[in-house]
Amino acid sequence: MNFFEALPELSEYVLAGAKYILPFLAIWLLMRCVRSMLREKYEPETWAYLIDEAGAKRPVHHWECIIGRAASADVVVTEPSVSRVHASLMRDDEGGWNLSDIRSKGGTRINGRPVDTDEPVEDGDVLSFAGNDFTFRDIDEKKRAAQAMRRTAPGRFIGPGVTLLILTLFQAFLTMEFTATAQPGHVLPIALAFLALMVIQWFCYFVMRSIRRTGFEPETLAFFLTTLGVAVVATSTPGEMLKQIFLVMIGITLFFFLGFWLRDLRRVKAFRWAAAVAAIGLLGLNLLVSEAVFGAKNWLTVAGVSIQPSELVKVIYIYVGAAALDRLFERRNLFAFIGFSALCVIALALMGDFGAAVIFFTCFLVISFMRSGSFATVFLAVTGAGLAGFLVLSVRPYIAQRFATWGHVWEDVWGKGYQQTHALSAAAAGGLFGKGAGTGWLKDIVAANTDMVFAVLCEELGLIIGLCAILAVISLALFAVRNAAQGRSTYYVIAACAAVSMLMVQMGLNVFGSLDILPFTGVTFPFVSKGGTSLISCWMMLAFVKAGDTRRDASFVVKPQAGRRVRPADGEEEAEE
Amino acid sequence: MKKVKRRATAALLIAAMLIIGVAVYLVRLADDGGAWATYFSSSVAAGTITDRNGTVLYTSDGSEYAFAEDWATRTACFQLIGDVSGNVGTGAIGQFRDKLSGYNFITGMSSGQTLRLTVDASLNVKAYAALAGRNGAVIVMNYKTGEILCMVSAPSMDPANPGNNPADGTYLNKAVSAAFVPGSVFKLVTLTAAIENIDDLYDRQFWCGGSAVVGGATLNCTSAHGSQTIEQALANSCNCAFSELAQALGPELLAQYAEKLGLTAAHELDGITTAAGTFEKAEAGTIDLSWSGIGQYHDMVSPYAMLRLTAAVANGGLLMEPTLIGRGPLSGTTRLMAAETAGKVADMMDYNVEYAYGTWNFPGLSICAKTGTAEVGDGTSHSWFTGFLADEAHPYAFVVMIEHGGAGLANAGSVANTVLQAAVAENNG
Repeated sequence: MNFFEALPELSEYVLAGAKYILPFLAIWLLMRCVRSMLREKYEPETWAYLIDEAGAKRPVHHWECIIGRAASADVVVTEPSVSRVHASLMRDDEGGWNLSDIRSKGGTRINGRPVDTDEPVEDGDVLSFAGNDFTFRDIDEKKRAAQAMRRTAPGRFIGPGVTLLILTLFQAFLTMEFTATAQPGHVLPIALAFLALMVIQWFCYFVMRSIRRTGFEPETLAFFLTTLGVAVVATSTPGEMLKQIFLVMIGITLFFFLGFWLRDLRRVKAFRWAAAVAAIGLLGLNLLVSEAVFGAKNWLTVAGVSIQPSELVKVIYIYVGAAALDRLFERRNLFAFIGFSALCVIALALMGDFGAAVIFFTCFLVISFMRSGSFATVFLAVTGAGLAGFLVLSVRPYIAQRFATWGHVWEDVWGKGYQQTHALSAAAAGGLFGKGAGTGWLKDIVAANTDMVFAVLCEELGLIIGLCAILAVISLALFAVRNAAQGRSTYYVIAACAAVSMLMVQMGLNVFGSLDILPFTGVTFPFVSKGGTSLISCWMMLAFVKAGDTRRDASFVVKPQAGRRVRPADGEEEAEE
Repeated sequence: MKKVKRRATAALLIAAMLIIGVAVYLVRLADDGGAWATYFSSSVAAGTITDRNGTVLYTSDGSEYAFAEDWATRTACFQLIGDVSGNVGTGAIGQFRDKLSGYNFITGMSSGQTLRLTVDASLNVKAYAALAGRNGAVIVMNYKTGEILCMVSAPSMDPANPGNNPADGTYLNKAVSAAFVPGSVFKLVTLTAAIENIDDLYDRQFWCGGSAVVGGATLNCTSAHGSQTIEQALANSCNCAFSELAQALGPELLAQYAEKLGLTAAHELDGITTAAGTFEKAEAGTIDLSWSGIGQYHDMVSPYAMLRLTAAVANGGLLMEPTLIGRGPLSGTTRLMAAETAGKVADMMDYNVEYAYGTWNFPGLSICAKTGTAEVGDGTSHSWFTGFLADEAHPYAFVVMIEHGGAGLANAGSVANTVLQAAVAENNG
């Protein structure tokens, strides 16, 4: 308070000015990221041809293709002897092609040899599907390079450096606000934490530049959300600033680790079983040893460090759940996925972590929908219904209580509606521009910095920034969906879509739960809510989004293209709009 | 791949639901945001309240709060400002909370506004000091503008150091929230009714032999006033004369005037509901009717209602409705009586001072007034003094009421003089 009293003019000036600058910077940042990520229309690409006996060319548009009679197949062969889903033709990062038979009735052959799975295909080979022959023609190096060049190179028109600079400005103004409003003892840690965040993000940026990766928008959006999360910690528990920064660092390290790990699809596939076992082990351990905190047994304390295993399992769930095209149609694989999903949801329901169970269940639906083939649909639908039924039955008392309060929070303001009504009140009190960082009152209420974090944002930084946070997550989702058009592998497409779906559902439950639009479930707002494990898992999910980023030289998760000869000059890369 | 690609759009469905959810929230926020935002703000009102000269009487950032710097100001303004616990229901902190902090969609809750009251805190201090430990109320207003310049209630306390056992009535603003036996100040009502309803009022002579027999009972007067005109009867505050008028007017007419002049109804002072008074109709011909016209019997009047009446008399019958926060375009005026009647009442109140109270008691003030010594039935009397300055530069109407204070002129009159001298010296517009 002494600082506040000693320099009333300065603090008022800072608060009044920054209050309006912050939303402006947030919108500007968001617009640049969205425009950069979604600006290009994807042209259909042709990576190979299948030439039938009559000499007609069928283009192969994707790296992973289904060949079959079904209209949804990528290469449609209308002969009655061909199965609806007959075979898969997949290209790897090195440019080699592999053919797999998918339980077809008539069989698949290469140059007369029967094919089981992952048989290499060379240019000029004759592929036979139930007796229908096609000559396989790969495109040549020049065409391949030209095609690669045609892909959008991010950062050429909207420089990621400038966007990051805007974010840095945003952080600087936020820090200034906090120095005016925070307790004197907390000013230094808060300022240091924001400074550290700036250093971290620029370090990441230069690492990307040094490996010639120019797509930095998903990271920028994640850093934007992380900044808001740091601001929430600064206002609610300023004593834990450095811990928060430490967690951000762990999250980003794991983001890079998972990103590089995802580069190699073979390696990814090889470790899926191990990952699934680890996930179930974590949940099982959690169920056995942990004690209930706030009604849910979802905390695990190891050597003084509390973690939420369910947060880490989210990442593994996606890692395990996504599948490349050839595996999508394997029964064994499908059953394993269903079993894994069931175990996860049941474990979470037993823990009483209703919010996480809902998130997993929705994610299960998204993955199921994306991977479902003809027969799989039936199984997945039945399993889905079964899991939903189990979920409802096992947590019925809990749900009944939450649903009883839902929509009636104002009738029990000091009891069951306490959190929601206070969140609504504080959020409304903030108006469009907020009361100023560090000046709200909602932060002092239990779980304000996790479950009601959207209201804290709205109260202190204003509705505009609150909506920007929501839109940041939504734009990550649009980006992931957009990239599906040129996905390298269904694995990456499914993983990216599942990750953004998880983030969105989690955000929806958090935001709308606190605003009494949905029942209050107590899940976290991605990147923003205080909570170490949640923050780390969100950064890891971002790796899946990056894995789906197939723009030219955009993502470190994608290996440099083989045969890529044309490199833009350095000066050209710096070009901005 | 094609299928997976197409089905990737499933994620968009979730995005669409989020957008719908946000839209629902925004619609609800636009509808109910104000109610939400203000719901929990009943703890401590954030903002600053000052007196008309900018003296800070209360300031808060929503959690910390402070009152005026000196003890005298804090105590003299206690009921006016109120406390953060809401003990004083009519205090400015509670009543004007919406002015200290407002809500709109764009700016949200804006707190920390400054509210300037019309009251002069230094007048409150002088008035409270003049009460000298006696219980009662002092209220002064500018009858040309309606601005209340002084509003004090005693007993009081220091809100910065609240004691455990405040005296009875500490939390009550007696200027507005309580009604008392009016005694002779009520004769202004009877007089007004008489002026408008008794044609030969000015030609009459009123005989007072020190007491009179009404309806078989004896009505005492303060002394034997002999034969008097109406002016002299008012100046003498002669009970015999006003008994005669009350009997001549009858219960219906008296009740009608008590109501018309605003003594019985509850009023609104910037949203503060003031205490209602009472006037019970006594049977015609009884001594009760006489006493009801003299401000005894069951008559009860709040100091605020009495102030309205005097302020209207001072302003030619047209009352500028009193305010604590300044007049706005919607501020009302109320005609309590015809200008002619008001002139006559004012003249007689002027005569009161000249003829009976003594101008030397009010040096330098062109004061018009009426005393009241209201018997409360336990042998003591409430001391009243109400009136106004017939002074264009200092158009102040006032009411001083001291509970069990004894004779009106000596007690309430002297407090009024102290406060008015200070008000004129301060020269508040």
